[in-house]
Amino acid sequence: MSQSLRPYLTAVRYSLEAALTLTNFSSQEVERHNRPEIEVPNTSAELLLQPMHIARSETEQVLIEPSVNSVRISLMVKQADEIEQILVHKFTIFLEQRAEAFHILRRVPIKGYSISFLITNKHTESMKTGKLVDFIIEFMEEVDKEISEMKLFLNARARFVANEYLGEFVY
Amino acid sequence: MLHLQPSNLLIQKTFSEALEANGSGSPLTFDRIISDFDYTNFHVSNDPENRDLLLLSVRTKAWQSILTCDNGSQGVLPYLAAKYTKLPGITVAGSAEAGFDYTLCIDLSQLTSETIVQLSLLKTNIMSYPFFLAFQEFATLSTKNPTTTTVTVGRFNEETGNVSSIDVSSTLYTIQYRDNENMFIKPSNDRITVIFETFFQDETDKVFGKVFLQEFVDARKRNRDIQSAPQVIFSTEPPLELQNHLPKGNEVGDEASKRFITFVLFPRHFANEELQFKTVSQLILFRNYFHYHIKCSKAYMHSRMRYRVDTFVKVLNRAKVDEDEDESGGSNYETKRTITGRKMVY
Amino acid sequence: MAETNWRRIDIDAFDPESGRLTRKDIEPPYSSQITSQEVSSKISQLRSLASSGDSKAAVALAVSDPPYSGDEATKNEYFKAVLETLSTVRQADIAGIVGDLTPVQQDALVKYLYKGMSVPEGQRQGGILLAWFERVTQVAGVRPVSHFINDRNTV
Repeated sequence: MSQSLRPYLTAVRYSLEAALTLTNFSSQEVERHNRPEIEVPNTSAELLLQPMHIARSETEQVLIEPSVNSVRISLMVKQADEIEQILVHKFTIFLEQRAEAFHILRRVPIKGYSISFLITNKHTESMKTGKLVDFIIEFMEEVDKEISEMKLFLNARARFVANEYLGEFVY
Repeated sequence: MLHLQPSNLLIQKTFSEALEANGSGSPLTFDRIISDFDYTNFHVSNDPENRDLLLLSVRTKAWQSILTCDNGSQGVLPYLAAKYTKLPGITVAGSAEAGFDYTLCIDLSQLTSETIVQLSLLKTNIMSYPFFLAFQEFATLSTKNPTTTTVTVGRFNEETGNVSSIDVSSTLYTIQYRDNENMFIKPSNDRITVIFETFFQDETDKVFGKVFLQEFVDARKRNRDIQSAPQVIFSTEPPLELQNHLPKGNEVGDEASKRFITFVLFPRHFANEELQFKTVSQLILFRNYFHYHIKCSKAYMHSRMRYRVDTFVKVLNRAKVDEDEDESGGSNYETKRTITGRKMVY
Repeated sequence: MAETNWRRIDIDAFDPESGRLTRKDIEPPYSSQITSQEVSSKISQLRSLASSGDSKAAVALAVSDPPYSGDEATKNEYFKAVLETLSTVRQADIAGIVGDLTPVQQDALVKYLYKGMSVPEGQRQGGILLAWFERVTQVAGVRPVSHFINDRNTV
């Protein structure tokens, strides 16, 4: 693990642990509704807590927005060049299309971020909070790894293909 | 499958079938449409009058431009006729089948497997006609004004007016083999330049294509083993060879995303007929080849992402509280089970 | 009035007794507002400490009594000075400095770290801020973070 990745992930881990203290909370606005307060246009400021920004650099950030019964976690994945942009876009779209399987994945990231998660009190009741944090951390690690591996693969394939094609002209 | 084959496998199969059935005395009736790259279609059918004759018709997007590439003298017809009529059992139909560009009649009783291979190369042979013309022109130009082989790469940066020592043919053979993408062939006295015009509809393809094309350009520099391969140049602007030939003005939209790939063929790439054939069949498949590999990369990434999603889901499922464990731990109520061991649901 | 869809008018918004709270309402009441003069004198004090090389005292001063009651401009000015102070400390010294801070000071430090990472100036030196953050959590665990989430005193 690189030098600055470890503190980054530790910071995210602690922030999540602090934020994932959720409780069941019925809507104050609408009768018989129970909705994630972080997602609805909110007229009750007391339900929202301080948002946390964790940044490794300008291009690699996490935003954690806690509220009384839900936490929204948004990742900004590093995109160094055009290829990585495309790959990140493809990968996040791919995941979001399968959001059903992920339970906590938001189908659309919030503006400016690559991918968002939404954890509600329903999730923390049916899942172990510690493992949820582990999942987010592992996800962050794996996404970076996956993107750089795919990029390497693309280059390797292109190189091989070009070599083979031009090799046919060597008589 | 790394390389694409210049021959059409389905044609080979169809004719082998026909040959076999004919040999065993029960000829088959055919009416098959076979497709190939770049809007090319083949039609295999029985001659309505003579059941021993099969008709192989071809229609290709490039036909019109190939027919007129030698100032409209339609030299491709005798060129193909010369190639095919020397094979046993093949005659050129007097007129092409309706809806198709060119038709061959094949006499099943004289068909050999060697001929079948040639039939499956029909598209390649049609496309190679402009190359054939270019090779001829190269031969006349090089005898008129032989140059030493020392003049090579640098010339591409020179002004067009500055080519006094080099005879560049004024003709530019154009093959319009797709809607928006053309292939250009330009002979001169020490080389033949083949330029592909290509563009990408998809944003992803554009980026991937850039990576691939860049590797084509760099491959020769990097790998000593393929030093003798043609030089590849990649540009977003039309190369000098094309500047006087491309239509100007009405270009909008996809013009901006057009890319040009230039292959510089040196005499060693077309020294004899066999090499000519190999070179041409490779070049014709260039576009297909690299688009095919772009698609392959995308497919691979897709399967990779699929796998990755599975592992992520597994990690997430680890977080789930196991229901059984929860119930036994809570022990507020005992789980009742039926005699077969299923849980009772109230 | 004719254009507005009267069925959609949020009548609760007009009712002062509705119990709705805005961000402004939940700010803790301050007995007095800190003035920009007081803050700038503190900033110059910080700078002189930092330039004299006593980073320990500088950090301790920076995170004690943050100008919670100041307006946005004052807070920002002070925040920049804190960020500067934090980024001048050598990596090796961080652990020692953090260990000597009181819990209240640690809480304030974490507030500045989060604020730092939310603006481009701080994001550019994300590595330094993260190093600070790591040390704080090593010493104090998750406590300053949960204090940060719930504290309505902003920096």
